[in-house]
Amino acid sequence: MVSAISIIAIGLGAAFLLGLMREGREALAHALTVLALGAMSAVAVGWLWLLGPGGAAVQEITTAGTMPPFAINLRVGLTEAVALVMITLAGLASALHMRAVLLRMGRRAMAVLLIAVMALAGIVMTRDLFNLFVFFELAAISTGGMVLLSDDEDALGAGFKYMIVAQIVSILLLIGIIFAYHATGSLNIDDMGGLAAMGGGAALAVFLVVAALVLETKPFPANGWALDIYQAAHPGFSAILSAGTGTAALIAVDKFAGAGGAALAPVLTGLGLLTFVAANLLGLAQTNDRRLLGYSSVAQTGLILAVIGQREALGESYLLIAGGLLVGHAIAKAGLFWLSGLVKGRDLTDWATLRRSPLLVFAMATFLAMLLGLPPFPGFYAKWALVHGLVASGGGALVALVLIGALIEAGYLLRWFGFTMKREASEAVASTPAELALVLAVALAGWGAGWIWGEVGPYENLLRAPALLLALAFLLLDWLPARVKNVAAIAALIGGFAASFASYDPLQMIFAAIIMPGGAVILLASFYEHGRRVGFYPSAMLMFAGMAMLIVAQSSFGFFAAWEVLTVGSYFLILRGKYSEPHALSYVLFSLGGAFAIMAGFALASGGMANFTMAALAQVPLTLAPWVFILLALGFMTKTAAIGLHIWLPGAHAEAETDVSPMVSGILLKAGLFGLMVLMLQMGSPSLYGVKLTYVLLWIGALTALIGNLIAAFQEDAKRLLAYSSIGQMGYAIFGIALMNHLGWLMALMFVINHYIYKSMLFLSVGGVAKRTGTRLMYKMGGLIALMPLSFIAVLIGIIAMSGVPPLSGFGGRWIFYNAIMESDARAPMIVIFLSGPIAFLYLFRLIHSIFLGQLKDENRRLREAPFWIVLPQMLYTAFLLVFAVVPGLALRRVDGYLSTIFPEHGLNWDGLTIRSDYGYWSPVSVMAVTVGIFASVLLLLVLLNHRAQKVKQFNIVYSAERPFRPETTHFAWNFFAPYRKALGFLLAPLATTFWDGVTGSLHGAADFLRRFYTGDGQHYAYHVLGFVLVLILIVGGGL
Amino acid sequence: MVYLALATGFALILLGLYGAITRRNLLRLIVGFTVADTGTHLVMVSVGYLPGRTAPILGAAVPPEVAALRIIDPVPQALVLTAIVIGLGVTALMLAYAWRIYATRGTLDISRLRQLKW
Repeated sequence: MVSAISIIAIGLGAAFLLGLMREGREALAHALTVLALGAMSAVAVGWLWLLGPGGAAVQEITTAGTMPPFAINLRVGLTEAVALVMITLAGLASALHMRAVLLRMGRRAMAVLLIAVMALAGIVMTRDLFNLFVFFELAAISTGGMVLLSDDEDALGAGFKYMIVAQIVSILLLIGIIFAYHATGSLNIDDMGGLAAMGGGAALAVFLVVAALVLETKPFPANGWALDIYQAAHPGFSAILSAGTGTAALIAVDKFAGAGGAALAPVLTGLGLLTFVAANLLGLAQTNDRRLLGYSSVAQTGLILAVIGQREALGESYLLIAGGLLVGHAIAKAGLFWLSGLVKGRDLTDWATLRRSPLLVFAMATFLAMLLGLPPFPGFYAKWALVHGLVASGGGALVALVLIGALIEAGYLLRWFGFTMKREASEAVASTPAELALVLAVALAGWGAGWIWGEVGPYENLLRAPALLLALAFLLLDWLPARVKNVAAIAALIGGFAASFASYDPLQMIFAAIIMPGGAVILLASFYEHGRRVGFYPSAMLMFAGMAMLIVAQSSFGFFAAWEVLTVGSYFLILRGKYSEPHALSYVLFSLGGAFAIMAGFALASGGMANFTMAALAQVPLTLAPWVFILLALGFMTKTAAIGLHIWLPGAHAEAETDVSPMVSGILLKAGLFGLMVLMLQMGSPSLYGVKLTYVLLWIGALTALIGNLIAAFQEDAKRLLAYSSIGQMGYAIFGIALMNHLGWLMALMFVINHYIYKSMLFLSVGGVAKRTGTRLMYKMGGLIALMPLSFIAVLIGIIAMSGVPPLSGFGGRWIFYNAIMESDARAPMIVIFLSGPIAFLYLFRLIHSIFLGQLKDENRRLREAPFWIVLPQMLYTAFLLVFAVVPGLALRRVDGYLSTIFPEHGLNWDGLTIRSDYGYWSPVSVMAVTVGIFASVLLLLVLLNHRAQKVKQFNIVYSAERPFRPETTHFAWNFFAPYRKALGFLLAPLATTFWDGVTGSLHGAADFLRRFYTGDGQHYAYHVLGFVLVLILIVGGGL
Repeated sequence: MVYLALATGFALILLGLYGAITRRNLLRLIVGFTVADTGTHLVMVSVGYLPGRTAPILGAAVPPEVAALRIIDPVPQALVLTAIVIGLGVTALMLAYAWRIYATRGTLDISRLRQLKW
């Protein structure tokens, strides 16, 4: 293998060669540049191959035939090789990306690019402190030159500000170096271990060198210059700056960290986390895409700096974490900067133009997922290992900071993705095939890195999970017509269920049944959609894959990975709705926040162990158990939309597409329930300060049921009504589980099935009606019974099942529920949950009354029944509900038997078709017979009595001589429950909404206020840098 | 003597930086940095200086056998030379920037380069 020093030699040589060339041969010069960068990349990749899979030893390269410290030496280990690959490839790709501008600027610009890449490679490899300084200066000078490539006039100012800061840094570095040399008699970094302990000038030396190197990583607040550069430079160069310069600076800090000794670690950690949180916060207020990327780059670099600070604490996983964050960030940021070169406008909303090209959207989604550390990318493994490592070394507060910063970052990055998917798209991106190929290649490199991290880490490789691969395969099928893909999706779900059918225990079986066959039934409705429906199937299958992985997860890592996969899939799915941009964002932020709580909970429970089985949750020490329980329950309850965490649900479910609403409501919500069940199965009911936590959950469940039902009753929008009703229903389920007895769980499990059926059915029928009428507002409907009889039947059966009146299965659920309550002695929440029962009748009644009964609107006279494919699943559900009502033993009996192994007492007795509890019996067949008998006789009576009734025509109304200002307010269905609103309206105060609005509002306010600190004046930036150094002296003080 | 040089060097650095962060004119600002650079070089040389020794040039006056005891460590001086060259490069680039800024914006006032901020 060629010596790695040839990377420097080739860069330098080619740059000289370019200088010798004649003017006017730009194309040739560019070819030479690309060739040189290609050769440099090849050498770097070769070394990575040798050192990684090849297992070669670390390479020491000595110069001038002399050993260090008498000559400069370079070193290439695995870390260096990874960094070299990133730097040289970023350079190569940027040279290709910037072809046009490089041709225009001529061979000198190309030489500067080569020098920049060469200098960064030098920073990575050298072990000589002064040599490090030289390479830093070369990098600074070439950066100053490359900034001028930009078309942006402001780049001049940005470049000059950069030079000012570079000057100060170089002064610090030089003085530091000379004192370090004075103290050790060597310039070799390897001779400087423990330098800080030598006292006197040595401490000053360490301090100055560290300050200079840290300043190169752009720490908050001395980083205004970097943001200006990111914003103004050519995006091709910003990519190098973010992927290459950032990497090199971090490697330099890492090299020198040993000299700083133990006192340095907390300083680096503190600075890094401060930068991470602050830069992400300030990023919230950005509207310029490249400046936003700059803030994000600064933040990510800060996070890695903090990881370097925690090197000792993280031990073995250090390389996995730092490398994962570094590589993930470099690939993602380079890709995003190159993408930004394809977008004309600089506002974040201008990225909507990418939407015209699904491949570019795929690339952008890949890059954002990499930045956010979502599975299956390197950042995901790194984030998991980091949180576990920090918990293991007692850094709980650090975990909180990391997660808060990451959540804020997710906020602005995903808001940006929402803009891209939902805002007005101008003309298509004018990208050449080469540019497209470059961006796609980078995205694929991201997936490749994900594979490598999965392989080398101590965890399962997610890209080997069959369910995930199956879902990802739909990305490749996306060019097919929607109906073909729909068949494939249904086949995949059924096939997946059939394949693992035998291995499920009864609990898993219930959830698996509604996820896979249940999902397939809902997908029948998707046959209604024509065209290609790009993006729908990969998202939906990702969600289903996540759910399928969740219920069989054995380890905490597998569980968490599945949780994130289903969150990502459902986010994309929800985002597809026409007006769902803000709702999808709030959904995904709550979900990610919840996921972070879950991750922290698992880390706390495992004490930082990498491999922790779910079953081991039962062995968590008593002192920790309540906290683990709280964190995990909090995470799961973001998914079930418990009161206070519910504000994302109404919009997300209501604005989703017709066939998506039933998926996210009927199926997705169950993920949270499953989590809660597993949690309580393993941990039981821990107490905190003498309060049983399940008792708290009882209250949460009861209040959620009450408030959810109450708000549902006052909705005008039929889908929002169903959405709020889901909140209430999930409250019941939580209440049931929290009872912690046999019947409570039986009711919760029965509820899992019931809620899936009737909520899917109602969302489909209401969606079908909305498709026909063009509105979701109920007072604009009415009288549709004759035009849409099948939808009417579905809604009727649905609300009978849901309200828990005989004869359908909802009654069985109620019956079990009341039996369960009688065994519990939590009286107060019980009263609340009883109260919310009747309220459910109010909103269910509206569905049937306002939509299907009453007068038909004039504009609706020509409506037809909902589309066949939307009706078909509803009819299947109807048939199933009727059968399930008569023979609930179908599923219940097995579940009951299974629950007896967990809660042996107070089970049910199965006596033929009659079911007995301790308090009474339920005979579904006779209930059905009696109900049908009574219904039939009353109906007959009414028909007999009313055959002479006079029908009131629609326009038989008088307005007492005035035309109302808003005609809809005179409709009987508008503000239907006004009296109840008067009485109970105080309960509807949007406290949760106000609270969360306050949180986001104050974050944005703080961001907008604080960012004014970056005045744009180069001299202020110089003050910041000097002030940073002074404050650092004060903080470090005697430490070093 | 050494301490005087050291103190002068640090004084020049502070003086130069003071100039660089108080003068609004780009050219004066660059001069400020040049002064600070010179101070840095002075500090480097004085740190490497050993009193009573001679220049590290081996020859008739300083035979190689006794060189280790009689010459000043040559490394800091080599470093200073490199640093001077690099400093020149940086200064040249900054001057080029100043010229380009003046050509496009017609000003040398740094406070008028605040288009990018926040």
